[in-house]
Amino acid sequence: MLPTLKGRWLTRILLFLWIGVPITFIFSLLVAGPRSPSLPFAGWHYDILPFQILSLLLLVGLILDPVYIYFQQFRWERDWPFAFQFFFSIVEFVIVLALVWWGVLDFTRPASQLHTSENYLLFTIHFACVFIPSFTALLGFVQIFMIRWRFKGGEWGRM
Amino acid sequence: MTRFPILLDIYQRGDGPLKRVERISLPEAGDYAIGRSSENQIVLDTPEISKRHAWLLVRDDGIAVSDRGSTNRTYIGDTEVDTSPWDGALPIRIAQFEIHLVPQTAAGAAATKVNVPQDNATRALASGPATGAPSPAPRGQSIEVALNAPNAPDEMRFPRNVFKNEIVSAEELKSSEYFVGEITYLSVGAGLGSFVWADHLRIFGVAKSDIRAIGDDIIPYANYQRLCRNSQIPPHERLRSNSISTPDNIWGFPGYASRETWKELKEFRFTGLKHIFQVFGEASLTQSFTPRSGEVFKSIDSEAQRIGWREMFVSGRVLGIRKTNDERYAVAYRVPEDQARGGVRERIMIGKFLHVATGYPATRFTDDLQAFKARFPEEARVFNAYENHEVVYRTAEQNKMPVTVVVRGRGIVASRIIQRLYEARKKNSGITIVHQMRNPIGAQEGYRYKRAQRYVYNHIENQAFNWPKACWGGQILREVERATPEERAKIYEAIGGTTTADRRDWRNIIQLGIGDGWYKPVFGHFETLELVKTDQGPKIQMKLKAQGSQPAAEVVADFVVDCTGLIGDISHSPCLRDLVETYRLPRNPAVSGAKVGGITVTPDYEITALRNGTGRAYAAGQITLGGPQPAVDSFLGLQYAALRSVDHLGILGAPNVSLFGPLRSFSQWIKWCTNATP
Ligand SMILES: Cc1cc2nc3c(=O)[nH]c(=O)nc-3n(C[C@H](O)[C@H](O)[C@H](O)COP(=O)(O)OP(=O)(O)OC[C@H]3O[C@@H](n4cnc5c(N)ncnc54)[C@H](O)[C@@H]3O)c2cc1C
Repeated sequence: MLPTLKGRWLTRILLFLWIGVPITFIFSLLVAGPRSPSLPFAGWHYDILPFQILSLLLLVGLILDPVYIYFQQFRWERDWPFAFQFFFSIVEFVIVLALVWWGVLDFTRPASQLHTSENYLLFTIHFACVFIPSFTALLGFVQIFMIRWRFKGGEWGRM
Repeated sequence: MTRFPILLDIYQRGDGPLKRVERISLPEAGDYAIGRSSENQIVLDTPEISKRHAWLLVRDDGIAVSDRGSTNRTYIGDTEVDTSPWDGALPIRIAQFEIHLVPQTAAGAAATKVNVPQDNATRALASGPATGAPSPAPRGQSIEVALNAPNAPDEMRFPRNVFKNEIVSAEELKSSEYFVGEITYLSVGAGLGSFVWADHLRIFGVAKSDIRAIGDDIIPYANYQRLCRNSQIPPHERLRSNSISTPDNIWGFPGYASRETWKELKEFRFTGLKHIFQVFGEASLTQSFTPRSGEVFKSIDSEAQRIGWREMFVSGRVLGIRKTNDERYAVAYRVPEDQARGGVRERIMIGKFLHVATGYPATRFTDDLQAFKARFPEEARVFNAYENHEVVYRTAEQNKMPVTVVVRGRGIVASRIIQRLYEARKKNSGITIVHQMRNPIGAQEGYRYKRAQRYVYNHIENQAFNWPKACWGGQILREVERATPEERAKIYEAIGGTTTADRRDWRNIIQLGIGDGWYKPVFGHFETLELVKTDQGPKIQMKLKAQGSQPAAEVVADFVVDCTGLIGDISHSPCLRDLVETYRLPRNPAVSGAKVGGITVTPDYEITALRNGTGRAYAAGQITLGGPQPAVDSFLGLQYAALRSVDHLGILGAPNVSLFGPLRSFSQWIKWCTNATP
């Protein structure tokens, strides 16, 4: 990948909107739902916790992007290998987990409902569900729809 | 002042060294026609020579040579010429012939028998074997060099007879015998640059009946393939471009790596997954993936079939381009003899939107090698890596004696030639490689741009492709596009220079060669190049000047292979030179060793100086070097240029060019996948 800073940000937002949000929506319906059947949503409960995690992921990513760009300056090719992208996506998720652990989401619900090992497992499954298609999209599927994207360092729009 | 008679030696290149076939004598001033048919004054009767090939214009104050729109064209040294004065320092080259001017003192003019036939019909041989008998022509081929009396001069040559002004009248052209038709989208070159442009137009919505591409060969990669083959990249060898540089697919997906993997997986070969991993870790963790040339060619064949390239291609050599008075462009070209079907060979087509992608104008020979070739035309010892030089490997492999080959230059081609010689060493372990480079480069002396530095190994700068990757669409492309011309020149200076690919096998070969003593790097310029006689036959003796800490050195070699490249200077192409001069087209600053830069274009690849009302002209490829994109001469660079210019046409509202939003892009991609016409 040959990203610019703006390209990193815009690509992140693009993947958030087109992959992260729909998948999280479905994920929340399928997985988070049955655990609290007391509230009705066609018999399912809808929990926004996965959305909170997804938003945290986006936020952490947006903040780290300038750091990546800084280090990219030292690479002669000024590129960002897919392997780096892969690795740092996981790092970002670990940071999110740590933030949750430290309590950044504690204001949203009682700690007993948040810090359960079951939840942390769900976060991981959720992350995998979002990350795998997002990363695959970067490998080529975005280009199918946005032919100019690869020449614009990841920014959308026309030339 | 010309002294008559003028003596010319005609040499022929066979499989090996040049052989002199004739010495002819021109008794007086006049226009001597060179060609295959008997109406010429100098008849060279082989198929590669056109019937009317060239003029030799002999005047009292000098000699000039002028091509007559021949198929294989006319060169002085390595420069293709339209009309040019000839001082004899470099030979005139026509197909496999070289015409050398015999220095008048050396020739002893009186000693040569002069034979001037008085009338054309006699076609007597005008040979004078007084000074050394000419070698007989190679067997199995009848070479007849005949000299007939000069003709009347031909003043009004096409297309100058119709292109009299900067702006020509479309009505006049249309009523001329040359006019063949009008078209909306017209590309000149019909190589890879034209192909990807036409591919974009087709996919963006233009019908094939609205597009034409004029060029020498119907196969868009013909020229490229020839250059690859000569520089020792056969179909199974890998190229130097990455997986997503796909001239057959405007999206770059699926790339060549996944296609290759898929192919191997279908045969249950799981090693194919390595290609995916290469792309995954590219440049840092693994060697970059590069496709095999044969695979790239096959993919282009299939895309050509899909978009109807055959119907869009027009066979011809473009001789001139002019603006018309109705906001369009007239392109004058000449079709090959065998395609004219009895009609006039000179033709004119008028186009609304013009695209020029004529590739490299010439192969480069460094000056000392040029001089050597001119002095010793019979010695097939110095070659440009881009010309056919199989004789080097054949001789080296068959020889039982030591053979020394000087490889000049440190680019990718040099690496490949060294690899080829390494392979030849398996047949003759007496092969020694002397690798001549301009200067040594220390491990910490690689080029620097901003915070980064290029990696150096064995005095060679390493880089995955011919420019840093971000020139193809990331930060560097951005920076170059936005820079002022002066800033641009600085960026080019920082990121340019010759590099080779970071291939482990190449590094190992050099390591091995240094260890075993059959690879020697030498640094500096050759001071003299002489032919010396040794016990093992004639060899080339070269002296290197002392330079800094480098002592003077002497090398005695059998062959020199010059890998310093192709010439991007557009003045080597008569048609472009005429275009640049007629419309005073601005030029880019010189970059990457070229003496002058390419034609200035906007970031949309438009040549603004050629704008003609609503008519637009675009360019792509090497002829735009030094402009808004560094990597103009690469598959992906050509694709980017095509995308920019076709997008620009879309915004201008050019007929049938869509704006190509996500839905159209997706549906067209599905068509690509299913091999349906766009
Ligand atoms: C040995 C070699 C290896 C390369 N390897 C790679 C690689 O691995 N990856 C990569 O991305 N790039 C590579 N390149 C660079 C680049 O992609 C090719 O050079 C490519 O062919 C350039 O396309 P083009 O259309 O500009 O020129 P060409 O493909 O050469 O096409 C130009 C055509 O115009 C024709 N023409 C010229 N003048 C006229 C005229 N007056 N009238 C009619 N026709 C004319 C020529 O005959 C030619 O066919 C390589 C280049 C070389 C030389």
